[in-house]
Formats: sequence, structure tokens, C-alpha cells
Amino acid sequence: MAIPLLVGIVFVTFMLVRVGGLDPVGRLAGPTATAEEFEMIRAELGLDEPLWKQFAIYGGNVVRGDLGESWLSNRPVLTDLKERAFISIELLFWGVGIGTLIGVPIGLRAAFRPNGRFDQISRVLSLLGFSIPTYWLGLVMLFVFFYLLQWAPPGIGRISLMVSPPDHITGSYLIDGLLTARWGAVQSAAAHLVLPVICLAIVSAAPIIKQTRAIALEVLSSDAARYARASGLPPKTVRRLVLRNSATPVVTFVGTEITGLVGTMSLIEYVFAWGGLGQYGLNAIVRGDFTAVQGYVLTLALFSVIVFLIVDIIVNLIEPRSELT
Amino acid sequence: MSLLEVENLRTHFISRDIDNQIRVAEALNDVSFTLEAGKVLGFVGETGAGKSLTAQSICGLLRPPAKVICGRVTFDGHDLTAMPADDLNALRGAEIAMVVQNPRTSLDPLTRIVDQLVRIHQAHAGGPLAASRTRAMEMMEAVGIPDPKNRANAWPHELSGGMAQRVLIAMALMNNPKLLIADEPTTGLDVTVQAQILDLLKHLTERFGMAMIIITHDLGIVAHYSDEIAVMFAGTIVEAGPVSEVFEAPGHPYTRSLIAATPERLKVGGGAKLGGQPPDLYNLPSGCALRTRCVFASDVCATPPPRTRVGPDHDVNCHFAGDLPS
Amino acid sequence: MAETVGDEFKRDRAAARPFSLKNRFIGIARVSPTLASGVIIILAFGFMAVFAHWLMPHDPVSAYPERVLKPPSAEHWFGTDGNGMDVFSRVIYGAKFGFGIAIPAVILAVAIGVPVGLVAGYRGGLLDEVLMRFFDGLRVFPSIILALAVVAATGQSLLNVVLVLGFLDSPVFARVVRSEVLSLRSSVFVESAKAAGNPTWRILFIHLLPNAIQGATAQAAVRAAWAVRISATLAFLGVGIQAPTPEWGAMIRQGAEFMVTGQWWVGIFPGIALIFLVFGLNLFGDGLQDLMDPRRRAVN
Repeated sequence: MAIPLLVGIVFVTFMLVRVGGLDPVGRLAGPTATAEEFEMIRAELGLDEPLWKQFAIYGGNVVRGDLGESWLSNRPVLTDLKERAFISIELLFWGVGIGTLIGVPIGLRAAFRPNGRFDQISRVLSLLGFSIPTYWLGLVMLFVFFYLLQWAPPGIGRISLMVSPPDHITGSYLIDGLLTARWGAVQSAAAHLVLPVICLAIVSAAPIIKQTRAIALEVLSSDAARYARASGLPPKTVRRLVLRNSATPVVTFVGTEITGLVGTMSLIEYVFAWGGLGQYGLNAIVRGDFTAVQGYVLTLALFSVIVFLIVDIIVNLIEPRSELT
Repeated sequence: MSLLEVENLRTHFISRDIDNQIRVAEALNDVSFTLEAGKVLGFVGETGAGKSLTAQSICGLLRPPAKVICGRVTFDGHDLTAMPADDLNALRGAEIAMVVQNPRTSLDPLTRIVDQLVRIHQAHAGGPLAASRTRAMEMMEAVGIPDPKNRANAWPHELSGGMAQRVLIAMALMNNPKLLIADEPTTGLDVTVQAQILDLLKHLTERFGMAMIIITHDLGIVAHYSDEIAVMFAGTIVEAGPVSEVFEAPGHPYTRSLIAATPERLKVGGGAKLGGQPPDLYNLPSGCALRTRCVFASDVCATPPPRTRVGPDHDVNCHFAGDLPS
Repeated sequence: MAETVGDEFKRDRAAARPFSLKNRFIGIARVSPTLASGVIIILAFGFMAVFAHWLMPHDPVSAYPERVLKPPSAEHWFGTDGNGMDVFSRVIYGAKFGFGIAIPAVILAVAIGVPVGLVAGYRGGLLDEVLMRFFDGLRVFPSIILALAVVAATGQSLLNVVLVLGFLDSPVFARVVRSEVLSLRSSVFVESAKAAGNPTWRILFIHLLPNAIQGATAQAAVRAAWAVRISATLAFLGVGIQAPTPEWGAMIRQGAEFMVTGQWWVGIFPGIALIFLVFGLNLFGDGLQDLMDPRRRAVN
């Protein structure tokens, strides 16, 4: 099952560049290149081969961990990606973590009193959250908390320019600072995290609220919940039954959500000059560094696959019905 | 005093449509019946006739926009329509237990069946856990679950439909109810299993002295398993009485058509199969709801049909009760 | 029997009023204020888009070099941007882009997705299996990034933005239609239509499609909201539409640098306009489901 999916992923990333018909040769060769030079570069890049062979070569390279070289950084794409991955995961962890912790309880509470005041308010807020462009939210936050109130540091990077970063251990300044007991660095890193994390939390909470509510409502009207009420179980017991039965779909949804939020996070990184995977990828897209774009998209897809796997494992743990047990 | 007395129960769906008009579906209209302790009453009628809705109205399980407009439900001396929600909840599953269709999905999929049995006992009777467990084992045995010690730890999805229905029945029995409502208990089960479940229910009512309401659209089931029958049409009981009486001399054209429509049996004169659709509950005809489809209908049917006694405890809601050609 | 609440309403119904648009709107607003506010917001933006030329006090792309970065005033309600252009006029003009991209993109997505969903659901089998696997597989790519990357790779024209959004969105409609068709495929009315000798295309489009419209409409609104967002995001990143085109995302991009120097009006106003339009579409899409919720219709 996983093999066709992986081949498909590699195929889509491969086609991503081919489908456009944009020729990387033109840029590499420069405006003064002769026809022979063109041909030389084509041959060097393997572009004179038939498409299936190009794909086979590309696939082989990917399997060997060779994602090509970035045209912007002049370094292997894999090195660039590895360096930045943890930086992004840190942001994603806090943002989505907080978003989930806010979103799930709100969605559940709304579902238990459908069309009540709390439900109405949380519904409008979550739809609003759906509608706010992430990057705009980031900019407004910078305006309010950096420019007006001066509570937050400027939106450049993950640590103040005045503070030297702690020694590289994990790549997260926060954790590395704690490990090396560099309290100044910890403080600065934490301060820099606040705004992007809030942004991501708001944006991720919105769909989680909406979906959690929908899931819980469906469970509430399921045969099992209705029979529980018909057998006079106390409201508290019925509520617990609904919560437990909502767990699997909610976990599955949050998993799907995380994979989508990686895109949103990239925009936040872009606005706050975060220097992670997302900013790297968006820069590559905007500047036309297609080797890097391929590597970036491939990484995101693999990340999704891993998240889905983890979701499967969690679901297996909480579900007696699951097929794998 | 009867165990259950329902008087003039009316349940309507009152809702607003998208043209800002209030629309009323008259789903139950003046439903009245009594049920004595230990007796079995069968409700029959087509889909939408209001059989399940009657049960839900009695138990306080209606959800908006359904609403009891008026009427009294007296159970064991208590007026259920006036009872606070918490008290009614305490009554459900204890004094009045329910068995429903879709037994497999009605069980909590994340709880082992013994724990579900224990849970319902703890919720109502309380007491030490061990006692609840013992009772759970006894009830599983009583409903004929083979090897209850092992089955107790099964998950609901591991059970067949018939076995799941036995579990539901065991759950209903946990608190020794006075009334068991079986709402289409065998719909969706294999035919052989259907008979087993119904035999079991009948046997259990006798053993534990419960009264039972069976809701079904299968006249055969009522004929076999109940003492009394109530035929529902468009939210009213059009005919009620002892099973033998009603099958012997059905007094309402609708009852006749139902009997005529059952394959096996009892051809009664004038009981041709009814044509047409069930009536629109949003727009019931005045008077008798059947009159647009009834071969005997005349002008007088536009006025509400009187309740007429045609035999011992045998009532018919029809202008021509007793006068129909036989 | 005493007169009951029900009898009262029965008389009301007897004098049923003929259809009126006003009653229909009030009725919808009472069942779903969400849906009604969505409709109002969308109509307002539609009005803005159509009548932009009458509503704009200034030319959206004329620069007034002597009026660069002026804060909001009576002359320039939303101030002026870094080129000295009137932000208010540009925000109004931007509605044209919002609709101009979202509407064709959604139409394209429907045009691809609906037939695919109909056929996949009706035929089933290998075709269905492969299609659904493919759609499932696509989900591992974050939609924003995939859209960005494909637009960037295929050349950054407005037409490409529409094409890419339309294609990437079509699985949504295919899914909605497919699940509806699957649940109806073996229903009585389809069987009888088949027995009556209707050709397949007729069963698909005349008998099955109308049943999927409710779900597809709600999706269309939500996907239109998505298309507006993504196209603005592309413009914000400088992919697709370039400054000084009066497109909201491009305007936010222009305003970004001024945000930390205090000239907030350049970037904030186009963002608010964007939020409102997307919010309106989302309210509409979400509100449609209220009409199906009997609880919301209950009268007490």
C-alpha cells in the first residue's frame, strides 16, 4: 500500500517541474549562450532523455538521497532541508499543539448545546478564523505588538541579533538554550516564538473547532448515544461516551489538518523571516529554484505520510474495532 | 389501576419553513390507551403512523421540533408529562426499559458488553460493583447468550445482530423494569433469529412479570405475541382491543386492509388493499384521515369519527363501526 | 377538546400566502442568520465588483507623487500607498479580482469534478478505485503549497491561476457527487428509470445530479472562498499578479514593509476587504447546512 503512494509522490514532484514546460536550461545557460552550449547543458541535466527515463533517474536519485543542488544556495537541497526541518517542526509543534488544545474543547462544548449562545459565537469566530489570511494576521500582529505596543521583538528570525545563539544541539534555540543553560538566549528565543505561534494557533484552531463540533454532533445523534439516553444513563455518562467515541475521528482530523497546516506555517515563516523549511520553500517557489521546490514538496509529502502513520498508530491504540489488533 | 395510561396524547412537529411560515406536522393526535401490568400490547401501522413517536413521547425522548402539545401519560401512578427531566431520566432504563432496532450500532462500540451491563445497573440501582457483575452474568444467561463468562468481555462489533439484540435485552432487564418497550426489535435480523428473539421476549415478560409494548409493522408478530393490539394510522389509534377480538372481527377499514395485505391468512370481506400514499401530516384531511383512500368513505367522514365500542374492550374510530359489510 | 396551539396554526396555513421574495428572505434569515449574512456580504461585494467604476473616488492606478503614504483623510478615506495611489479606490477595484478568479475557478472545478464523480460513482469498479486512490494520494500535498508550486512552475499568468485552482479543486466536487450517486445508485427510482429505458447519461444528469446539488453548492461556496484566499496568497508572494495591480494580496504585499514603520493603512484595508469576502462565502457555505437541520427550524 505504501509503495504505490511513495512512487506517486515522487511522480507528482517530478511532474511538478516538467508540467510547466519551463526550461531550467535557459536560466542556467544565460542569455548569451549558443545553441551548442544549450545542448551541452541539456545533456548534462539529462533533459535529452525520454520522459520515463528522466523519471527513473530522478526516482533513483531520490532513493539515494540525492535531491539535486539548489540554484539559490549552491548547496545540496537535502543539506538545506535537513538544517531547517527541526526549526519548522518546533513552530508547528507549538502552534498546532496550542490550536488543538483550544479548538477541541471549544468544538465539544459547542456540540453539547447546539445552537446555544456559546455555539453561535464559537461558530462565527471559527468561520472568521477560516477567513483571515495568515500572512495578514502576522503583519497586523507585528504592527500592534511590535510597532505600537513594543511588547514583541521585530519579526526577523528566531532570536535577537544582540544575543548570540546557543550551541547547535537540536536546532531549536529554545531547547538548546535550556540544555546549555544560556538563559538570555532562552528568553529571546521564547519571545520570538510568541507571535508566530499565536498566529498558527489561531489559524489551526478554526477548522478544528468546526470539525470537532461536527464530529461530536454526529456521535450525539448516533444510535449508541440515543440508546444511552433511552436507558437513562446520567448526562455525565452520556457525555463521556460521546467524548470517547469522538476521539478517533478527531485524532484523524487533526492529523489531516497538520499536514495541511504545513502550508499555512510556511506563510507565517515567510512573514516572520523564520528561516525554517517553509520560508526556504516559499522563497524557492517565488524565485524559481525548482530543484529546491521539488525537494521541499517531497519533504512535505513524506511528512504527511509520517503523520498519517502516527495517526493510524494512535487510532489503533484507542479503537477496539481496528483491523490491525 | 393500570400500569400505563395514556390520555389524549398529541405530539406535533412545529417548525418554521424558509418562507417564514410556521408549519405543523400533526404526528400524534389524541392517542389514548391503557396497558395493564404483565400484558403485552402490540402497536401496528405503516411507517410514519406514529408508533415509535408514541413510545418516544411517553419516555420523554422527543427532540425538537417534536413536542408534546397536550395529553397525560400516567405510569405506575406518576404523571410522566409533568415529571422533571432528571426524574424521568432515572425512570428510563430502570422502570421503563427499551429494546430498539439496530442493536449492533446501539451498543457503545468502545465498551465491553459486561461493562455496559454493569454501567446501566450502577446508574440506576447502584450498590457494590461485584453485585452488578453478578447480575450482569445472570441476565446474560437469562437471555440465552451461550458461554456468558467469555462473551462478557466481547466488544460489540464482535457480536452478530441476534447476539447484540440479546445483549440489549439483557441491558433492559438489568434493573427489573415494569415495562419493556420493544421498538421494531427484529427489523434487520435473520428470519430464524427473529422468531428466537420474539419467543425470548415473550418468555421473559412472563418470567419477570413485565408488561411489554411491541412496535412493529408486521401484523403476524402482533397476532402471535401480544394480548392486545392497537392499530395506528396517521397519528391516531384507529382500532384497539384484544388480539383475538380484533382479528376475529376487525371493525375499521384500515385494519381490514392490513389483515387482507398479510399473505397467509384471514380474508375478511370488503378488506381490499388500500391504494394511495400515507397522508401528509402537514395537511391532514379534516375528520377521518383515511377518508381520501377509504372505499366506504362518505360525506360524514369529514367530521371526526367517534370512538365506538364494538365488542368487549374493542374500540373502533369510525363512523361506520359495526355497520361495515362483513 | 379545547383548542390547541396546533389548531391555531392550521387556520394560518389555510390562508397560505403566495410566494414572496421578502418572506423567503425573512424565513431564511430566521432559520439561518449565518446564511442570510453570507448572502448580504456576497451581494455587497458583487455590487462593488460590478459598479467599481462608479464607486471609486479616484483612479486605482494613478499615482499622486506628492501624496505618498498619507494617512486616511476626507480626500483619501483609506489613505494613500507608497506610490501615492488611493487605497480606498484600489480596495474597491480589488473585488473584481476576487470574483474574477474565484468564479471561473469554481466553474472549472465543477465542470471537471461533477462528471468525474457521476461516472465514478455510477460505474464503480476499477475506474472508481483508481480515481479515489489518486484523490486520496493528492491529500499528502498541502493544497496551498501545491497550488503555489504549480502556478509558479506553469508561468505566472492570471489564466494559469484560474486553471490550476480549478483543477486542484475538482476532486472536492467529484467526491461530493460520487458519494451521493453511490447512495442512490441502487435506489428504487434509479432502478425504475433504468427499467423505463432511459439512457445512462439521462439517468446521470436528470435523475442523479439534482440530488447532489445541495452538497455541491455548499462546497462551491467554500471552494470559492478558498480560491479567493489562494489567489490573494499568490499575489502576496508576488506569484501570478504583480504590483501595482489593485489586487488585495498584492496590496498587502506592498503594505507589508510599512506595517512595522507605522503606515498601517496600506496593508490593513485590503486585508479587511479580503477577510470580509472570504468570510461571506464561508458563512454562506456553512449556513446552507442549517436549512437541513430540523433543530434550527423548531418553534417554541
